[in-house]
Amino acid sequence: MKLNELKIGESGIIKKIYAKEPLKSKLLSMGFARGEKVKVLKHTLAKNTFDVDINGVNVALREEEAKEIKVERKNNERN
Amino acid sequence: MKEIKIALVGQPNVGKSHLINSISGATLHVGNFSGVTVEKKEVEFERNGYNLKLIDLPGTYSLHPYTPEEKVTKDFLLNEEYDLILNVIDSNQIEKNLIFSFQVADLNKPMVIAFNMYDEYSRGGGEIDTDKFFKLINIMAQNVSAKEKFGLEELFNKVIKTYEGKNTPRVYYSEIIEEEIENVKEKIKEVKFDKRFTAIRLLEEDEDIYKLVHEKPWYIDLVSQLQESKKVIRNEYDNDDVKEIFFEERLALSKGIVTQIAKKAKKETLSEKIDKILIHPILGLPIFLFVMWAIFQLTFDVGAIPANYIGAGFSAFGEWVGGLLPNGLVKESLVNGVIPAVGAVVMFLPNILILFLGINLLEQTGYMARAAYVMDGVLKKFGLQGRAFIPLVSGFGCSVPAYMAARTLKNPKDRLITMLVIGFMSCGARLPIYILLVSAFFAPAIQGDVMFAIYIGGALTGLIVAKILRVVLFKGEPEPFVMELPKYRFPRLKAILFDLWVKTKMFLKKAGTFIAISAFTIWFLSSFPRENIVKEYSVKIEQVKSVDKKAALEEEMNQKILENSYIAHIGKAIEPIFRPLDLGWREDVSLLAGLAAKETVVSTMAVLYGAGNADETSKSLIEKIRNAMPFTAAVAMIIIVMFYSPCVAAMSTFYAEVPQMVWKIFYTIYPNVFAYIAAFIAVSLIKIFS
Repeated sequence: MKLNELKIGESGIIKKIYAKEPLKSKLLSMGFARGEKVKVLKHTLAKNTFDVDINGVNVALREEEAKEIKVERKNNERN
Repeated sequence: MKEIKIALVGQPNVGKSHLINSISGATLHVGNFSGVTVEKKEVEFERNGYNLKLIDLPGTYSLHPYTPEEKVTKDFLLNEEYDLILNVIDSNQIEKNLIFSFQVADLNKPMVIAFNMYDEYSRGGGEIDTDKFFKLINIMAQNVSAKEKFGLEELFNKVIKTYEGKNTPRVYYSEIIEEEIENVKEKIKEVKFDKRFTAIRLLEEDEDIYKLVHEKPWYIDLVSQLQESKKVIRNEYDNDDVKEIFFEERLALSKGIVTQIAKKAKKETLSEKIDKILIHPILGLPIFLFVMWAIFQLTFDVGAIPANYIGAGFSAFGEWVGGLLPNGLVKESLVNGVIPAVGAVVMFLPNILILFLGINLLEQTGYMARAAYVMDGVLKKFGLQGRAFIPLVSGFGCSVPAYMAARTLKNPKDRLITMLVIGFMSCGARLPIYILLVSAFFAPAIQGDVMFAIYIGGALTGLIVAKILRVVLFKGEPEPFVMELPKYRFPRLKAILFDLWVKTKMFLKKAGTFIAISAFTIWFLSSFPRENIVKEYSVKIEQVKSVDKKAALEEEMNQKILENSYIAHIGKAIEPIFRPLDLGWREDVSLLAGLAAKETVVSTMAVLYGAGNADETSKSLIEKIRNAMPFTAAVAMIIIVMFYSPCVAAMSTFYAEVPQMVWKIFYTIYPNVFAYIAAFIAVSLIKIFS
């Protein structure tokens, strides 16, 4: 599944970054790397823009960019 | 005294500029990096017999640059002369920050790391062992807090020690990668960078370095080794993207080091709690709009108070200068031309400062990033980005700070589109023109609605034009929106005041130079040629006795001078162009004068219609233009003022911010064409339906 398919409060482990350069480098430098845990903190009403936590860093990104990140949902995640 | 030149680098929001402001006994210079309008701060201070010179480079996430600012940092690190790199890190985000540190460490220059915000980190129970850090990768580091001013002196001692010992980092990647780095390194002969660094960057597919070695005679030999090495790495890591492999390599290294040197702090939750309200899916937008509304209220209401005093100050100054100088051209040009014009511009300084204070506060507290998050969905529909909202709204105040505020847009295309439509947000100086024309030509009951329609119409047109520009001229993928939402922080008063002081200085410098010169030009064009008229009238004036008559004749003379001036000739020459819009030469000239400053449109109309020193509320001027201008001309004039080029001050700001000649030319022409066509359509429609 893709990052934009996670619900608010859900976490996932990043499996792959589909994005092409230069967006890929940008995402990598923000911490979106394979194996990292990402949590959806919030999204706007229309699910246009997402606010996610990656390794303690708060990052806003659009649905288009979230689609470029493949994740595997982590179950029973509460914190 | 020996100078140590230090490049100050770090990711955004690590408190780099805060650190600079906390150094005691330092002097600061602000300038620009050559060729770009990115602000360059340099700090100098003495420690242990050395003169330390810090150059603050723009915040950068990576040495694979994404924004123009990041490119500036990379270019500086690669091409400029410096002795040492000081890398500032946010202790709360060591893992992410170190990835960039390792890229910088590859340069093999003397390097020191400052773990900043250590106060916050240690309060949460965190600890960093800098001795162990040094043992692991040979980079001296210091825990510091720019806010609470600890660790700074120790940091500079380590800087000096590192410099004296020529101590360079020893960051090593995993065996397979190191082996390939060695293999590539062997093929590199002479190059201006460190060979290991060159090898790493080539493996990472850094275009800049690639271009550098491309011309070398040993390139062919190198390129086959490079292919071979990349193949080995790709196979070993089962990933086609070597850049990504290096990134993951650095992340793994970073995590490994962090577990060895750092005790993690408890997670800070305050920001999350504030965000629950401020970027709430439903409440977020209204809260944001309220914040912006409040800032604009302050900008105009509070800003108007000192503005009046400044205006009065300038007219008193003008009188004082007038009394001091002997009669003549110098006095006339200063008192009638330059001083009032510069005064009219400086009057906006309080508004500008308040607006910038507001924007600064938004930026420093971390709310600006949230505003962009909240607005992004709306602006995306018009091909713009969340961050574009700030400069666009600033445009209602004055285009000059709005163009500067557009710097917060990192992407050049987004920045350009935003800057191209800022002029459609009617600035404060156009208000008197609207008031004059609306009160002359519309029924009192609907005047308020008309004013509102003018402002909203301008803004909507701007957004639509932005969309058109995006579709027609900036085709392709919409720009990605990936932005860190930094932690909420208390603003730092000293830094804000200093920033405002710098803005003030730059603004006054511009007012004193560019605006003064252009005001002089307009004055000259509207006062000459006049020799014959003056001759004729001076005889007449001498003949009459009464003071009133003398004054009346003088008024008549000035009127004649203006009507025969160069600017009137220009007005009459261009009259045919504007005739389809029903505008007469007086309106044409007023609009032209408006290019110098929008304030001059009303005063020029007043002079050309012989209404003396009338302002927008003057009954006689309103009556005069109501009788002289057709309704269609009034509508045409309003529309032109809404859309045509802003004043020279704004235009020169745009020219300074946008380097490409093509866009300077486009920016100079298209608003005027647009305004003309829009006015023509409106006039035609009125004629058809009436």
